[in-house]
Amino acid sequence: MSAWLSAVCGGITHRDHAQVLFEHEGVFIHPGSEDQGLEPDLLVSGSLRIIDKDAEIMVDYRPLEDSVDPTNMLCAGKDSSSVVEWAQSSGERSAQLLETQQSYETEWDMINAVTFRKRVCANGEGSLQQQQQPVQERSRWAFSFGLGDLRSVAVKEEGWTFIIFRLKESSSVLPPLHFHQGGSTEFLDSLRRFAMLTESADDVSCLMVSTPNKALSQSFENLLDDNNFGLVHKFKKDPYVTTLGGFSKVTNYIFDAFRGTEEQHQRPPEEVADLLGEVIPGLEINQQEEPGFEVITRIDLGTRPQVIRGSPVSVEDWTKQQDQEGRMTNVPELKHAIFKGGLCHAVRKEAWKFLLGYFPWESTTEERKALQRAKTDEYFRMKLQWKSVSEEQERRNSRLRDYRSLIEKDVNRTDRTNRFYEGLDNPGLVLLHDILMTYCMFDFDLGYVQGMSDLLSPILYVMENEVDAFWCFVSFMDQMHQNFEEQMQGMKTQLIQLSTLLRLLDLAFWNYLEAQDSGYLYFCFRWLLIRFKRELSFQDVLRLWEVMWTELPCQNFHLLVCCAILDSEKQKIMEENYGFNEILKHINELSMKLNVEEILQKSEGICLQIRNCKDLPQSISAILGLDSAVSSPGLADPGSGPALRTAHRPDPCSNGLFRETSSNNKVAFIS
Amino acid sequence: MTTKTSLLKVILLGDGGVGKSSIMNRYVTNKFDAHLFHTIGVEFLNKELEVDGHQVTLQIWDTAGQERFRSLRTPFYRGSDCCLLTFSVDDSQSFLNLGNWKKEFIYYADVKEPEKFPFVVLGNKLDVTERQVSSEEAQQWCQENGDYPYYETSAKDATNVAVAFEEAVRRVLAMDERTDHLIPTDTVKLHRKPRSAGACCS
Repeated sequence: MSAWLSAVCGGITHRDHAQVLFEHEGVFIHPGSEDQGLEPDLLVSGSLRIIDKDAEIMVDYRPLEDSVDPTNMLCAGKDSSSVVEWAQSSGERSAQLLETQQSYETEWDMINAVTFRKRVCANGEGSLQQQQQPVQERSRWAFSFGLGDLRSVAVKEEGWTFIIFRLKESSSVLPPLHFHQGGSTEFLDSLRRFAMLTESADDVSCLMVSTPNKALSQSFENLLDDNNFGLVHKFKKDPYVTTLGGFSKVTNYIFDAFRGTEEQHQRPPEEVADLLGEVIPGLEINQQEEPGFEVITRIDLGTRPQVIRGSPVSVEDWTKQQDQEGRMTNVPELKHAIFKGGLCHAVRKEAWKFLLGYFPWESTTEERKALQRAKTDEYFRMKLQWKSVSEEQERRNSRLRDYRSLIEKDVNRTDRTNRFYEGLDNPGLVLLHDILMTYCMFDFDLGYVQGMSDLLSPILYVMENEVDAFWCFVSFMDQMHQNFEEQMQGMKTQLIQLSTLLRLLDLAFWNYLEAQDSGYLYFCFRWLLIRFKRELSFQDVLRLWEVMWTELPCQNFHLLVCCAILDSEKQKIMEENYGFNEILKHINELSMKLNVEEILQKSEGICLQIRNCKDLPQSISAILGLDSAVSSPGLADPGSGPALRTAHRPDPCSNGLFRETSSNNKVAFIS
Repeated sequence: MTTKTSLLKVILLGDGGVGKSSIMNRYVTNKFDAHLFHTIGVEFLNKELEVDGHQVTLQIWDTAGQERFRSLRTPFYRGSDCCLLTFSVDDSQSFLNLGNWKKEFIYYADVKEPEKFPFVVLGNKLDVTERQVSSEEAQQWCQENGDYPYYETSAKDATNVAVAFEEAVRRVLAMDERTDHLIPTDTVKLHRKPRSAGACCS
C-alpha cells in the first residue's frame, strides 16, 4: 500500500490533475443503520464522483459540507464498528488544510490528502483528534478508492436503490450508498465505461468488477523500457502518451463490457494476480513529467489524396538513363519512376545493386568492374576463413558452431516452394548457406540471426550470383542491422515510431489497440523484422523492397506501409471486437493475403496526407524526415538530388555511399 | 450452459529447428511440411479436445527459438498452464539446452511453485535415423528434473504427438484438482474458472 499512499499524496497538490468524469449529488449514507443506539434517521448527504486522477480512475464519495451536524457525526463515528479509518498524509499538511477548509477547492485537496488504509478500526478507537474534529467528521464518511481496488458492487432495492462497494481487501467494508434522489443507474453506467461489471454467478444483484489486464502490456513496456535510448525515454515520459493511454483505457473499456465474461476467464490467474499489483505503479508516471512536452491534439489530416501507381521501369527506361561511360544520370527521376512502378524483372539484377548502394550511382562501367573484382576477392577471402576451419577448431568455437547449425537448419526452411530453392540439393540452398556463413565472418559479432535468411533469399534469387548477392545483402543488412542486434534496438525503435504514427493517423484505432493491451503493436514484429518478407508473395516482396529502397517518398516509408495494412484491417479488428490474442492471430494470418499494389497506393496516399498537414507534430516530422532540407528530394524537386551525390567521392571499396545514407537514418532515428 | 470448456495455455519451448512449429501444426491441422518456414515472432493455434470427460480448449503457443529473440518471446510465457520442453533426438545440443529453457520459462512465466509446475518433455524427430540422444539419457533427465513425463515424438509421421498434448492436459487438470482440494478459497476459483461455451454477458 505504500506505493499507493505516496502516489496519492505526492500527486494531488495540483487539483487540475483530477478530472471529474461523473458526479451525482444526493447520495446518502445512513450512519445509524448498522449500529445500535444511534438515531435511525440520521442521514449523511453527499456527492458521488468518478474521477480521473493521473490516469487512475477513482470513485470518490464526499458528504456535503453543511449536510451534517458534526456532533451527531462524532457520535456516529465513535460507535461504528465497521468504519474505515483515514490517515492524514502528514501533520503539517493537515494543519494547512484546516485553515482553509471552508472552500470547496481546499476540501478537494483534503480528499486527496487523505488516503484509505483499508483497516477496520475497533469500536471507539478511531483516530479522532479533538482539535481536528470538524474536518475529521466531515471526512469521516468520505471515502475514495481506485477502481482497481474494487471487487464488487452490490445493487439493492429498498423502495430506493442503494449500493454497496466491496473492495478487494475483503476486511474493508464501506457504508452503503443510498440513492434517494435516483442516479444509481447513471452511476453504474458510468462505471461500466471504466471497468467491466459482470453479474456474480451466485448473486445477480452483485456485480463483479474487473479492470483490464495490464500484465502483458507491462511486460512489453519493460521490453521497450531502455533508458539508454533517448526516444524511448521521452516516449515513456511523454505526458501526452500517458494521459492518452489512460484516457483510451477509459473510453475503450466499454468494449470489454460487451465482451462479457468470456475474456475474463481466458485471462490466466497469474496475470490476474499481476494485474492487481500493477494497477498502482501506473500512477507514478506523471509525477516526473517534464515541462515543454509536445501536446498533440487530434489533428485534422484532411482527405487522403488518390494515388495512381505507375508501370514498372523497363530495360529501355533504365539504359536510357546511362551516359556513355555508364554513369546513371537523372537519378532522382529514375528513383521516382521506380518508386511509382517498381522494376521489370529483367532490370532488377542491375538496378538492385544501385538501389542497395553496392554500386554508386555516379560510377562508370569501368569503375564498377574494378569494384566487382575487388569485392570478389574480398568475398572469397572471407569465405575461405570459415571453409578452412577444421572440425577440431569448430569444436572449440561454440559461436561458430551455433551459427553454422542454425544456418543449416534455416536454409532448409527458407522459401522452399520457390523454384530457386525447392527440392533436395538445390544449388540455391548451398549458395544461401555459404553467403550466410560468409556474412558471419564479415560481421562475427552479429553472426547469424533468424530472419536473415529471409532477407537474403530474394536478393540471391535476383542476383543469381554469389558475390553480388553477398554484397547486396551486406548493404541491405546495413539498413536492417539494428533489428538483429542483441538488444533488438531497431525493433524497439520501430515499434515506438509506428505507434506514434498510428496515434496521429487513427487515434480511435490506436485507442482500441491500447485498450486491448496491444498499443505497442508487437503483432507487427514479423513485418518489421524482415520487411514484410513473410507477408507477401515472393514476387510482391521484390516489388515492395525495390520501392522502399528508393527511400521515397519519405524516410521510414515502411512504417507507413504498416499503417496502410493496419488501416485496412482496422474495421475487422474493431467490429469483431478482437482482444489481445485475436489481434495477434489475425495479423499473423494476413500472411500471403495482401496485395502489394493496393498497399503501396494506400501508403503513398497516407504520406501525402501527412505531408499536406499544416501543424504536423515534431515527433512525426522527425520520424518521416519531413521537417528539414534532408527530406527526400525526389517528389518535390526531381532535379535537386545529384548535386549532393556528386559531392561525395565514390569509394569503391568501402561502400561509402551507403554508409552515409545509413548514418543519416540513424540521426533521424535518434531525434 | 450445457458444456463447460476450460481454456488451457501451453507453450512449446526449445532450440531453433527442433520442430516446435511442426509439432503444433501436426497436432492442430494434422499436416506436416518438412520445409515449413522457421517461426519469426510468436504464433498460436487453438485446438478443442476432450480429456477424461473434460472439454478443453488448448491454446498452443509457438515461439522463435533463437536466444536473440528472448525479449520478444518471454512476455508470452505468462499465464501458461503447461510448458512443453522440446528437443530433437538428432541434436544433442538441443537436449543439453533443456535446462536453460526450463530456467527461462520459470523465470519469465513467474511460476509460483516451480517444482510443482507441469512440464512435459518432448524428444522430437524420432523418424530420423541418426540419433544423438538416447531414450535413457532423456528419461534420466526428466526423472532428475522433476519426474516429467517424456514422449518421443515425430511430427513427420505423427507419432505420439496427440498423446503428448493429452498428457499435458491431464497434468494440468490434475494440478487443478489438487489445488482446489487443498485450498478451497475464492482465489482458486479464479484459477481456470470454466466458462460456459458460447455464453456472453447475460
